[in-house]
Amino acid sequence: MSRSTPIDRVLVAIIGRALKAITDEMSVAMEKTTRSPILCEAKDFVTGLYDAEGRMLEQTENLPILSFSLGPVCRHIAEQFRGQVYPGDVFFHNDVFSFGNQNNDVAAFMPIFVGDTLVAWAACKGHQADIGGAVRGGYNPNATEVWQEALRIPAVKVHERGELRRDVWDLIFANVRLPIVEEDMRAEIGSCAVGERRLRALVEKYGLERFTAHKAALFESTRRMMESEIRSIPNGTYSGEATVYFDGRTPGSRYRIRVAITVEDERVVFDYSETDPQTDGFVNGTYTSSASATILTFLQMVDARIPHNQGIIEPIEIIIPEGTILNAAYPAATTFGNHLCPPNADAIIRALAPVIPDRVTAGWNNLLCSLSTGHDPRRRDTYVDILFMGLKGGSGATSDCDGYDHIGMIDASGGLLDQDYEMFEQQTPHLLERHEFLTDSAGAGRFRGGLGVETRYRVGGEKTQLVVFGDGDAEPAFGLFGGQDGTLNSIALHLPDGTVRKTASKEIVAAVPAGTGYVQQAGGGGGFGPPHERPAETVRREVADELISIDAAGSAYGVVIDSESGQVLEAETAARRAAMAAAASRRATED
Amino acid sequence: MPDRFKIGIDVGGTFTDLFLHSSSNEVATFKVLSTPDNPSIGVLHGLERIAQSLELEVGALAARVDTIVHGTTVTTNATLTRSGARVGLLTTHGVRDALEMRRGVREEQYDNRYRNVIPIVPRRLRLPVRGRLDYRGVEIEALDLDGVRRACGSLRTAEVEAVAICFMNAFANAAHEDAAAAIVRTELPDAYVSVSSEVLPSIRFYNRLSTTVLNAYVGPVLLAYLTSLQRRLADAGFGGVLLIMQSSGGVGHPAAILERPATTLLSGPAAGPNAALSVTEPLSQRSTVVVDMGGTSFDASLVRDGAVALKAEGDLDRLRIALPMLEITTIGAGGGSIGRLDAGGLLRMGPQSAGAVPGPACYDRGGERPTCTDADLTLGYLDPTFFAGGQITLRPDLARTAIATHVATPMGLDVEAAAAGMYRVINANMAHGVREITIKRGLDPREFPMVVAGGAGALHACMIAQELDIPTIMVPSPASVLCAVGMLMSDLQHDYVRSYVTALSDLEPDRLQAVVGDLTALGDAELAREGVPEARRQHGVLLDLRYAKQYHEVTVPVAPAAIANGDLEAIGSAFHREHNRLYGYDLEAEGTGLTLITVRVRSVGRTDKPRYPKLRSGGNASDSLKGHRRAYVPETERFDEVPVYDGHALRAAHEIAGPALIERVDTTLFVSAAFTTRVDDHGTLVLEPAGRGSSP
Repeated sequence: MSRSTPIDRVLVAIIGRALKAITDEMSVAMEKTTRSPILCEAKDFVTGLYDAEGRMLEQTENLPILSFSLGPVCRHIAEQFRGQVYPGDVFFHNDVFSFGNQNNDVAAFMPIFVGDTLVAWAACKGHQADIGGAVRGGYNPNATEVWQEALRIPAVKVHERGELRRDVWDLIFANVRLPIVEEDMRAEIGSCAVGERRLRALVEKYGLERFTAHKAALFESTRRMMESEIRSIPNGTYSGEATVYFDGRTPGSRYRIRVAITVEDERVVFDYSETDPQTDGFVNGTYTSSASATILTFLQMVDARIPHNQGIIEPIEIIIPEGTILNAAYPAATTFGNHLCPPNADAIIRALAPVIPDRVTAGWNNLLCSLSTGHDPRRRDTYVDILFMGLKGGSGATSDCDGYDHIGMIDASGGLLDQDYEMFEQQTPHLLERHEFLTDSAGAGRFRGGLGVETRYRVGGEKTQLVVFGDGDAEPAFGLFGGQDGTLNSIALHLPDGTVRKTASKEIVAAVPAGTGYVQQAGGGGGFGPPHERPAETVRREVADELISIDAAGSAYGVVIDSESGQVLEAETAARRAAMAAAASRRATED
Repeated sequence: MPDRFKIGIDVGGTFTDLFLHSSSNEVATFKVLSTPDNPSIGVLHGLERIAQSLELEVGALAARVDTIVHGTTVTTNATLTRSGARVGLLTTHGVRDALEMRRGVREEQYDNRYRNVIPIVPRRLRLPVRGRLDYRGVEIEALDLDGVRRACGSLRTAEVEAVAICFMNAFANAAHEDAAAAIVRTELPDAYVSVSSEVLPSIRFYNRLSTTVLNAYVGPVLLAYLTSLQRRLADAGFGGVLLIMQSSGGVGHPAAILERPATTLLSGPAAGPNAALSVTEPLSQRSTVVVDMGGTSFDASLVRDGAVALKAEGDLDRLRIALPMLEITTIGAGGGSIGRLDAGGLLRMGPQSAGAVPGPACYDRGGERPTCTDADLTLGYLDPTFFAGGQITLRPDLARTAIATHVATPMGLDVEAAAAGMYRVINANMAHGVREITIKRGLDPREFPMVVAGGAGALHACMIAQELDIPTIMVPSPASVLCAVGMLMSDLQHDYVRSYVTALSDLEPDRLQAVVGDLTALGDAELAREGVPEARRQHGVLLDLRYAKQYHEVTVPVAPAAIANGDLEAIGSAFHREHNRLYGYDLEAEGTGLTLITVRVRSVGRTDKPRYPKLRSGGNASDSLKGHRRAYVPETERFDEVPVYDGHALRAAHEIAGPALIERVDTTLFVSAAFTTRVDDHGTLVLEPAGRGSSP
């Protein structure tokens, strides 16, 4: 059919632009109407359009880690319900054993018809504040199987031909604690409705045949761009590894992620066959959460302007055997799976850094996060707060650019925002004492890592509970090519009785007394290139700004600064830097 | 008695536009080159040009001018080029990096070389001071006055020109900031001081901080500029009233503006919708979308129900400004937008622009890349000998060469097909810009006639309208200086905010009335100072409300009676209605509680607006026919001999069926085959789909 339709290259560009406008519009609809802060404030959701076969047309990826599982789920639904999909249908899905990425990431799908023909799907998926299971909010470090984590929603139809299926709907929400989830799922449907209306109008405008032919041309043009990016990487197989620390059950436990990346002309294969087996806790990935992590990491190494449609992922193959920590077998617990993105990214970066040094970053700060709940006597109500401002460390430096300060983990890449300080004090009973860049947190380098931050607040209110989850307290973000590592993450509670209690990286801390000082450090990113090559004037300026201490300027960068005048002592600096350069070249020869 | 005059002056990057209105209801428009180093020189050149046209000495003209309304981009440019004042910041101990962090956003998530904005105040000049208020504004740690003095010492050593003061929770209690400001004014008597509780006493620390700092950054710049301008105008003999345009579309006296110079940061396009309103109101159109296509960018803004659509906050160069400003979408599409193929072989237009230098290839000033103007010329829409009234002679051969080299040959198309492709792509881009400001806000573009401004817009308007099914296009006679016209159509306006955070059910009516009363008194005093008679002063109250536990507020206008009577039910139902209109649902039936966050008062002083003179009628459109030109007709995808009309010779009620070109000195209108245009009583060209015009 499409062979007979002449391709108008200009129309291809126009349709591509229109698809992006539609998914953006779906995203705005979602952002403005949801009530859970993780959705409307942190934008932990994605919107997308897929063709009838579930191939990605376009996405708006507020939180990239969620993005690349929508296509597989869409294909699954299309397959499962073949012949039973009607205009006005709505499907829900979260099941991690049928291509979902995380239990709490619940998706809505809406088929788009032109006349009687199914032409596409609109989808929206957000992190819901609760989806049943043993623990409110879903982060249950004690879980060993999926039912302790969440209600499983395989593809189910909640609307059929425009009619609400009340029984199905009630069954779902009878198993969810928080009423706002019901509202927020309605917002997801609303977002899909926006996409349905607009895509249908677009297809009707150009006619199905022309649309289909030009869609194929769009995929092809995108694929060509991606292939030319891959072709610029030398052929070969490159290996990298990273460690996952603490499975939430056995202190000191460790697991290895191992990737072998094979580049062959315009294709790339990521093979995780040598990765360690799954854990018996909740620190496990699903295939799609892990593959999403792989894709988003690799996409940061190619031209950022390539459109996100099926063409961009076609040249990428990802092999993750079932039973590994990145693709746990049924019925494993997997809620922590999205947070395996950082070590997965580390393994990929380590593999490719020697091959494409100009396209990788040094290591990024990993996520360590806390969520506080309790009773606020001021407003006689409960509150829930995810301390977004505390969890955002620095990104890794590149070959010609410092890392980004206080950006947060790689799977959000700057898409997660801090809560406003004054709103934080209105909405929680806590008092913010500090939220500032952390001196000497950035990994030193010719280009330094992004800075981490320190957050301190005084716990107020009653019945305070902290849920801590994350990583980065055992291994810092790594430096590259002589660049140094960043600093570690940590959360410590300075209790009113004077004792200091460090939390584990996955832990629920109950009954935190009022007056406790909460202290969190999010580490900096890794540096790139030898620190003694960083211009001394840049180091001096950052010392004046107290981002680097005078001691670290001397020890890490070889820049000796007079503590009285703040000026660089030229002779001492030259001598110190010469010695550092000599030591570096000695090390290089020994290697 | 000789005529008296009002003049609107809009200083842009390239041109300074002037609009003259006389007491005998004559209007005239003028364009002179801007003088970016000191824009007041360009303003004086403009006055000289007007004087010349009236055969007057400048002094004689100046003496007869009652009012000059002036829009300036000096604060915008100082921010964009980072040439504002050297600012020091005093802020609460523990949060001195909030300004630089910008809440931790990286706008380009996949680009690891995307850098953060360089902060307006470097870290070494962001000085922490001890002292703390809690969330209600109650002191929990006294302000460290010695610490403030020590900080002043550091700032003196650093030779700052301005000081910003922003403390945690100062929206609820200004005492600490007032005390610090008093010390700063003593210790650094020459510094411009910007205090958050004066600039913007509303909750949200980062928004208030960023706004206060920008206010300090541009304060000295605006002060120097207005001082220079006022001196020059006085020297020229001007003794009338000078008014300055703000980002909100309202104007104010220089003294009022200098108290909050940040209100001018996005004032460049702010007058456009006011002008559009003056064009459309006689046609009983109270809602329009206003598009302005210039050399590098395309702006779309809105008039709704007879009022300019505003938003409470926005960004300039990724820096937050939480002051009322025009609701506007700007995209990189203009006459200078460059056409290129991306790595996948798809045609893109912009956002890169050839600007004024080197400019489009056809300008023959060294530009080699094909631009939108090159495509327009190749398609026959522009007369090479009549561009900008003949001030620039265009070179069609250079346009064709550039298109052939960079677009046509690589795509395997002929030059004209490639130009048509460029035209379609940029039209689609602009249509998306209009969509952003309508559909994304829950508005249907089909209900919004489109008013076209800017030199380049009228060549593309029909295609944008077709893309969005917009039924009516209006091209006002002074389209290319629409903002200058809007200057004279604006009211005096001052906005005041104060946060009062409370559950609506716990709201104390006395306290709300007191807040509203305080803010109203401020506005009333300001308007009185500006000489607005009491009968022309109006004060509107708006409340920022949200559902309990929601994160985004909705700003709702509230009737004065509801405030006076403490009628919480009326306030609540106004919110439910607006929430439903914006987002398609409300939670009134569920009984969900509401939270009040911020109280706003908008004080307006109504001005006398000039009316456009009536156009003479009589004769036929064919009297204005200049000839025919080979031009591209998008509906048939073919070139045809298209009639060309002299826009200045048209009279009221003339009708022209598309395809046609209507040329004026400052703009050319392309009426595509699907449209018919009619000239209204005031010279506005009104385009409607063919077969739906007013003719029987």
